[in-house]
Amino acid sequence: MTDCFSQPDGPRNTFCGQTRREFLWEAGGAFTSVALASMLASDGFLSSQACAADGLTPFGGPLAPRPSLVTPKAKAVIFLFMYGGPSQVDTFDYKPKLYPLDGKTIDVDTRGRGGPKSQGRIVGPKWNFKQYGQCGKYVSELFPHVGGCVDDIAFVHSMTADSPLHGSAMLMMNSGKVLSGAPCLGSWVNYGLGSVNENLPGFVVMLDHTGGPISGAKNWSSGYMPASFAGTVMRSSGTPILDLDPPAGLNRGNQRKMLDHLREMNERHRLSRIDNQDLAARIHSYELAYRMQEHAPDAVDVSMETEETRSLYGMDQERTRDFGRKCLMARRLVERGVRFVQIYSGGNHNDANWDAHGDLVKNHEYHAGNTDKPVAALLKDLKRRGMLDETLVIWGGEFGRQPTAEYAEGTGRDHNSDGFTMWMAGGGVKGGVSLGTTDDLGNKAVDRPLHVKHLHATILRQMGLDPNALSYFHAGLDQKLVGVEHVEPIHELI
Amino acid sequence: MLTCQDDGCDGLWVLYTGGMLLVPAVTLVLSIGADSPSQWWADQPVTPVTPPAVEGDGWCRNDIDRFILARLEAAGIEPAAEADRRALVRRATYDLTGLPPTPEAVEAFVADTRPDAYERLIEDLLASPQYGVKWGRHWLDRVRWAETDGYERDRSKPGAWRYRDWVVEAYNNDMPYDEFITMQLAGDEIPDRDFSSMVATGFLHLGVRDDEPTDPETAIYDDLDGMLDTTCRATLGISMGCVRCHDHKKDPIPQTDYYSMLACFRGLKPYRQGYGNAVIPSHYIRNLPLDYGHEDTTAIERWVTKRDELRDAADTLAREALQKQGGATDQPDPSAAFRLPDSGLVKYLDFEGDPDICEAGPSGHALLVRTVEDSQTIDRPVEDDFTISVAFRPDADGRGSGDPRWFLGSGLVDGEISGIVDDYGISWFKGGRVTAGVGRPETFLHSPPGLTLGEWHYAALTRDRATGVVQLWVDGELVDEETGGKQALNSPEVLAIGRMHPGGNPFPGAIDEVRIYDRVLSPSEILAIHDSPGYGEDARTLVQQRLGDEAAARHDELVETRQQLTRPKAEVVDVLAAIEFGTEAPTTHVLGRGNAHSPEEEVHPAVPEILGGDRLPIVPPSHGDSTGRRLALAKWIVDPGNPRTSRVLANRLWQHHFGRGIVATPDEFGKLGLPPTHPELLDWLAAAVVERDWRLKDMHRLIMNSATYRMDSRASDDARRVDPINELFSRFDMRRLTAEEVRDSILMVNGSINTTIGGEPVYPPLPEEVLATASRPGAAWRNSSPEDAARRSLYVHVKRSLKMPLLEMFDMADTDTACPVRFNTTVPTQALTMLNSDLLNNQAMVLAERLQAESGDDPEAMIRRGLELATQRPAHPDDVASCLAMLSDLESGGLSRENAMRYVCLGILNTNAFMYID
Repeated sequence: MTDCFSQPDGPRNTFCGQTRREFLWEAGGAFTSVALASMLASDGFLSSQACAADGLTPFGGPLAPRPSLVTPKAKAVIFLFMYGGPSQVDTFDYKPKLYPLDGKTIDVDTRGRGGPKSQGRIVGPKWNFKQYGQCGKYVSELFPHVGGCVDDIAFVHSMTADSPLHGSAMLMMNSGKVLSGAPCLGSWVNYGLGSVNENLPGFVVMLDHTGGPISGAKNWSSGYMPASFAGTVMRSSGTPILDLDPPAGLNRGNQRKMLDHLREMNERHRLSRIDNQDLAARIHSYELAYRMQEHAPDAVDVSMETEETRSLYGMDQERTRDFGRKCLMARRLVERGVRFVQIYSGGNHNDANWDAHGDLVKNHEYHAGNTDKPVAALLKDLKRRGMLDETLVIWGGEFGRQPTAEYAEGTGRDHNSDGFTMWMAGGGVKGGVSLGTTDDLGNKAVDRPLHVKHLHATILRQMGLDPNALSYFHAGLDQKLVGVEHVEPIHELI
Repeated sequence: MLTCQDDGCDGLWVLYTGGMLLVPAVTLVLSIGADSPSQWWADQPVTPVTPPAVEGDGWCRNDIDRFILARLEAAGIEPAAEADRRALVRRATYDLTGLPPTPEAVEAFVADTRPDAYERLIEDLLASPQYGVKWGRHWLDRVRWAETDGYERDRSKPGAWRYRDWVVEAYNNDMPYDEFITMQLAGDEIPDRDFSSMVATGFLHLGVRDDEPTDPETAIYDDLDGMLDTTCRATLGISMGCVRCHDHKKDPIPQTDYYSMLACFRGLKPYRQGYGNAVIPSHYIRNLPLDYGHEDTTAIERWVTKRDELRDAADTLAREALQKQGGATDQPDPSAAFRLPDSGLVKYLDFEGDPDICEAGPSGHALLVRTVEDSQTIDRPVEDDFTISVAFRPDADGRGSGDPRWFLGSGLVDGEISGIVDDYGISWFKGGRVTAGVGRPETFLHSPPGLTLGEWHYAALTRDRATGVVQLWVDGELVDEETGGKQALNSPEVLAIGRMHPGGNPFPGAIDEVRIYDRVLSPSEILAIHDSPGYGEDARTLVQQRLGDEAAARHDELVETRQQLTRPKAEVVDVLAAIEFGTEAPTTHVLGRGNAHSPEEEVHPAVPEILGGDRLPIVPPSHGDSTGRRLALAKWIVDPGNPRTSRVLANRLWQHHFGRGIVATPDEFGKLGLPPTHPELLDWLAAAVVERDWRLKDMHRLIMNSATYRMDSRASDDARRVDPINELFSRFDMRRLTAEEVRDSILMVNGSINTTIGGEPVYPPLPEEVLATASRPGAAWRNSSPEDAARRSLYVHVKRSLKMPLLEMFDMADTDTACPVRFNTTVPTQALTMLNSDLLNNQAMVLAERLQAESGDDPEAMIRRGLELATQRPAHPDDVASCLAMLSDLESGGLSRENAMRYVCLGILNTNAFMYID
């Protein structure tokens, strides 16, 4: 397949050997006019937009592999999304001074769904912490299995985000913007890198069995990019991808016969229209679809794994079976070249996810209990297969929770985007380190505050993309995942 | 919070430096500031252009062809031959209706030997109501059409479908484009506004809206930004979004331009205010009668006549009794003879007091309320059974909008206490309604809208404590009845007269004759107060005494008829429409770095400097509801002298006919866009649009009747060599069906399509896997009947967080930002959907059934017919052979004939010949 970027010595104003304009019109006006304009107007423009927006590579073009521009550490990302917002002080951000304050009302500035408050009743951490690993990291007893992996994990305790409200915060964590309409992280990665396996989607999303997160498909949307960069929802039971299985009455052999005759007709149609490359592209897309039907079920067929592996992921236990299966599927997918896999823990509304407004203990026991073992298994399994070095695993929610109670009664905590914890493992990220701190209450980031954009920049950087160069021209603006101001990755961790 | 960094503005610099180096933005601004605004081609006046002379003039059918041919001759290539008739009819039918022609229509056209057969075809297609469905969709792409707000709750936009229908109808009626734009921007500010023009302003409310934003103030500007940017891109070809934060990097558009234009929208009430997740429907939804602006005045006149007849009859009867000798009185005038009800009258206000603040009312002086200070307060006189009657003359509309709830209105007689308590009141509500209610449970009553201003009316609220029944009477007519609580209504200590009890919202007019009783008056008593004492109990008693039981029964009948005489009213519906604060708008400031909390210099409505920079002449409309700013903006945009508007429109027409615009960046005519490939043709077309009074159908005629439009899609060897990408329009570009056309064509080919125009959205079945992606999987979608599910794709509900997979997959327009050109992707998942989805397999089965019904059991005949329906030309023998081979292979693979034929039909729907238009 033609590689758009492998001609460093070519003339400055040519694009894959053609003038930009030739290239564009051969592409059949396949992308937004402004995207077009930017290419024409900017010699030496390093954007990968042209290829990505379909055209030169006539089929599967948008996802064709593209070489990284900086040396990649990771080949794939697995983002374990703890939707609803896990509480940092009850999970990985150890705050010993918070326990004795339990029940006391103190002055503290918080910002949650109830708006800004200046006073609140402290809810002490509801779980004890203990030290793990050589690094001696304190981890709550909610995560005994993940605790065993801390020497491979880099914790960021000083995360901040722009919004303490689910709708906009979800969009920010997934697309870098609180406003709707921008492409998601997985779209950017695939736009920048393409896929090395055309038989599988490049951006896979696995949702909780209770439903999608709020705003649904906006969380894996390709926004203003073509739909081919949108996330593909994959299910852990039944047909993994929508419309992957041939209809019940048509076996594979019969479908092949049908496709062969379809191809005859389409080739005949093309004969007198030979200069239209879209026709050839469409013919080829049917062959790719046929192959995808074979490869995608295989990719997610966890029955091919050993008993020991499935047990490691907790698939032999009721509580962990579902999330364990998804984590194992994720490993199999990245093994096969899928660039970006996102797994949701929690869906729907209220306590069906980590949004513990009422009973913190019940909520977090439930969600941590369902995911601790599978998450740890994923890290261990990747590591023993030598895949952890090139697979970046992210854990976290759209924000964290407050140290104070939301209501007069009970242990529920409101949202908190001013200081929360996320962690990364593998993909060239250092293990056994913790970066940044929140105050003694675990309320606001104080030392080395970091923003979602720094996390995104780090992910792109580890994938071999320059976060400050990867751009897509849209609506008169050169759009980037990390925004316009220069953003450094989190260097301490890589 | 949205700050400049989220907007990507500085990123332009990266674009022009190849990402090698970041240089401070200010350097770039200086380097561009040298440009003079007047130099840019798109800002020059559209001047008359003479079509060039060409050698091969015989090829030309109109002047368009001379512009095209001149370039081809210069390049030394011939235009492509004319497409064959079948290709032409297919191309034109899809182009104007978004549907394939029927094979019969194709053959009729092929057989039509009249010299103007093609012109007639175009006329027929332009007259089809399906034209509006196709071309309306082109416009909807540019305005972010969707029926929900997006974000966490993805709330639905009430009645948004009326806007979609308005667009379709505007196209079908060939509404001039200047009117089309004016209605959408300012349909509430035009002199003869009506229901339709109000619906058009729904345009302003189509964007994404965060109902729980992190920063409420920023959210207000996000909303205004969407309106401004959408307007500028669609009508002027200017991307304004980046100027929100600082001066444009490439075009000479300073930040002041952005905010001066933004000021035009500043008077609009915001979607929401403050923290929390509450929105304010009354800020963007009007309750309007369907005949708003075209009220049936004759029906009102008939009603007035009937009302007067009944009153005269009651008075006559009473007068007869009065005049009959032997009675206690012989006064001939009922109103002088009969007392109004006084039993149980616990409070009576006739305002025969201070003449300074009073004017003439039904009984001498009345209370004229101009401000809250003019209102009065009385001790609460009743709490159990009661009747409160009041005469009032509204001089202006009341407060409130959205659901008519009395406490949101302007007070007449009111004892409201905030919260759900034991209170009650009567108020005057926006739209010309009387509203009333009692608390706990909250029980609301309201009259129909449209009570006339400047005339005296009566309202009465009655309450029966034992049953909880409350009734609202207006001008003697029972207009509403509900059942409320049965407790004592004693929360308010006092009642306010002429304002709402909590201290504000005065009634805009005069009040008189406040009568408060501690009992429920009878209908005849209320009529006596509201209309004439001839209806009253005293009159009835006298009638019975002097004229007998029969006459008394006649009196009862008159009361009953009058009580039920219904004032004519139209159905009132929610309309997504412009609503402003009034004639004054909040001030508009340049926002430093686009930050809503950093206001800098104040600006006023003005046009961009590149187009003159003039302040817009603002005249508030006579109705006093709004500033008139949007109307001024609209007038400037559609002024024939505006050099951008007609060019942008002409280019868009060309784009949709030929697949790409003369300017290939249809919403960007500035330096970030592409220059026109045929600038003279563009100007000639722009002038032609204005000459035709902005009517589009005649432009379609002009373009489609050109030889250029009628060219074949195959390139000659010469053309391929000299003009490889068809920049010169040396041939017609093939195109794939759009998302909507794919679905609509499948339904058309198998005969199940329902081409009904207009109405509420439909919900065809979605795969369970797709529904499961919603955060409330059970509540995300509805189920339409099979007939509705077969409606054209334009009518499928557009929900921002949940889209129909087939449409999304084939590159439907993005809903969150304006879509000037659709993507055209080819990916394997499209093939999966076309082969494996329930939708396709079910529709293939319907096609197989149709073929069997039309062609019997002969497989060859069925296949021939299937190919003919799908490709609208006689089936090629080789294709018939392929399909027959497919059939027999599937049968030998173990499938029944019936099943095998279904998959053959599926195969036919997957052919490129079906999916592409020559």
